[in-house]
Amino acid sequence: MLEVRDLSFSYRRGGEELFGGLTHTFTHGAVTAVAGASGRGKSTLLYILGLLLRPSRGVVAIDGLCGSDLTDLARSNLRALHIGFVFQDAALDPSRTILDAIIEPALYSGSNCSKTTSRALDLLAQLGVQHRASHRPGQISGGQAQRVAVCRALINDPAIVLADEPTGNLDRENAETVLDELRRAAGAGTTVVIATHDPFVIDRADEVLAL
Amino acid sequence: MKSEPAPGMRPTTLLREALVSAVARPVPTAMVAILVAATCLVTLLTVGRTAGAEAQVRERLDSAGARMLVITDIHGQGLLNGALVASAASLSTVESSFGVASPLDVVSTAQGRGGTRTPMWQLVGDLETAVALTSGRWPERGEAIVGEAAAAGLGLDGPVGSVEAGMSYWPVVGTYIARDSFSELDDGVLVPAESGTARTLYVVATSADVAAKTQSQMIALIAPLSLADLSVQSPTTLADLQADVGADLGAFGRNLLVLVLAAGAGLSAVVVFADVLVRRADLGRRRALGATRRALGILITVRTLIPALVGAAVGTAAGAVVAAQWGTLPPRSFLAGTAVLSVLAATASAIPPAVIAARSDPVRVLRTA
Repeated sequence: MLEVRDLSFSYRRGGEELFGGLTHTFTHGAVTAVAGASGRGKSTLLYILGLLLRPSRGVVAIDGLCGSDLTDLARSNLRALHIGFVFQDAALDPSRTILDAIIEPALYSGSNCSKTTSRALDLLAQLGVQHRASHRPGQISGGQAQRVAVCRALINDPAIVLADEPTGNLDRENAETVLDELRRAAGAGTTVVIATHDPFVIDRADEVLAL
Repeated sequence: MKSEPAPGMRPTTLLREALVSAVARPVPTAMVAILVAATCLVTLLTVGRTAGAEAQVRERLDSAGARMLVITDIHGQGLLNGALVASAASLSTVESSFGVASPLDVVSTAQGRGGTRTPMWQLVGDLETAVALTSGRWPERGEAIVGEAAAAGLGLDGPVGSVEAGMSYWPVVGTYIARDSFSELDDGVLVPAESGTARTLYVVATSADVAAKTQSQMIALIAPLSLADLSVQSPTTLADLQADVGADLGAFGRNLLVLVLAAGAGLSAVVVFADVLVRRADLGRRRALGATRRALGILITVRTLIPALVGAAVGTAAGAVVAAQWGTLPPRSFLAGTAVLSVLAATASAIPPAVIAARSDPVRVLRTA
């Protein structure tokens, strides 16, 4: 279970606080849209949930573990094993193949290579980009890149997927494909949190957390 | 969900990832390889020459000539007898020793009294320590062997004939060439000593380092009533001089080596640091996806180590070829040391950028890269 209690964050000590005193429990197996205007801290909240940032105040609890109490190593391991990230710009390594990009989180979690490759190919097939497995990011479209990013986020079967404006640069068709896959993951028990201001995404989310 | 550490990156995975990552970015990889190769090459062609010269000095230092004590019984008091020669030879710091009596002028019997006068020495100790037989056999008492250089002057063609002095005759039974450092014996005749007393004692120490100690031991063995009774030509001054020259060359070489390695490492550090800056998005993504700081640091360091190994192999091989052509090939240990030090310096230079990269805020990197 993912929850935040009395959560606040400011980039400077004593500076303006984002989402001051936020308390929320993200429903297990649901897609939660974190909505709000630009600058309200949607992406920042995602980074805090992903244990990349420490909150100024309050706690992030993942299955009862307080993220702030964990060492950097423990947080890295938690990310590697249980958290998947989808970045706004896909963030694929331009020098590596699509298949390499997808299995990257498995390298950090120490997963079995052959099983991971098989799983990556299945995910690519589910998202209709299996024919691009040996291509490089520069050889595929933005929509395909974002679908690949979703595959990468799901490669370790994470308990939590954090997606930062995953449809921000996509047309409706690609956006639907990406959202469908995230919804499918939620249906399989993954907690999906999407930072977005896209009404299309908000309409299709199970829950909405407004900032 | 547990907070226990994940298995993390496996060593083989880390190595493969570093290799793939190094190949994927050929420019910084090639630059590190070229820098390390250049470091090795410059080291071998500068410091290597100094090391070669130092090795030559040390080799000369260990030649028999630089290890030889020459002790002379000035007043002919019989201080240098056969027993002393045997005692000297038994010392752990002595490689060989023999004594010679004062030379006696001899002529070839065939040439008669008008023949070429040639020095003849009576040798106390083992003849083999002083000369090598080139024809004939070793002499018994009352027989002689002739140096090859002296044979022509005596009109001897091989180990035949005899030499004489006054009423004494010595049949010639062999010819010889003197061993290193005793070349003056080539111009004369040798006979086994009959009296067992020498005027001059030659002692070759096992190494130049123990020359001074050997000198003290020999004087103690001889135990002259007065040191004025003995004349000692010691190699210690020469040894000290050569050691000083060797040490100076060594110190110069080491300073030059440090300078070259530091320059190479500094440039490598700049390349790696620039690479880290260019790849900060890559590093931020890796952190977000679960790479630990340690894994990231090791990844960057190994990514530098791989081209450094290639560069060291190429640079050392090229440097060895050029140095060999110049006739200044340093010792193998120096070649290996140069390669290892260059790799270590380049790899060590990657550590600060690796630490900086590993400690960078991934969120800031992701948002600004």
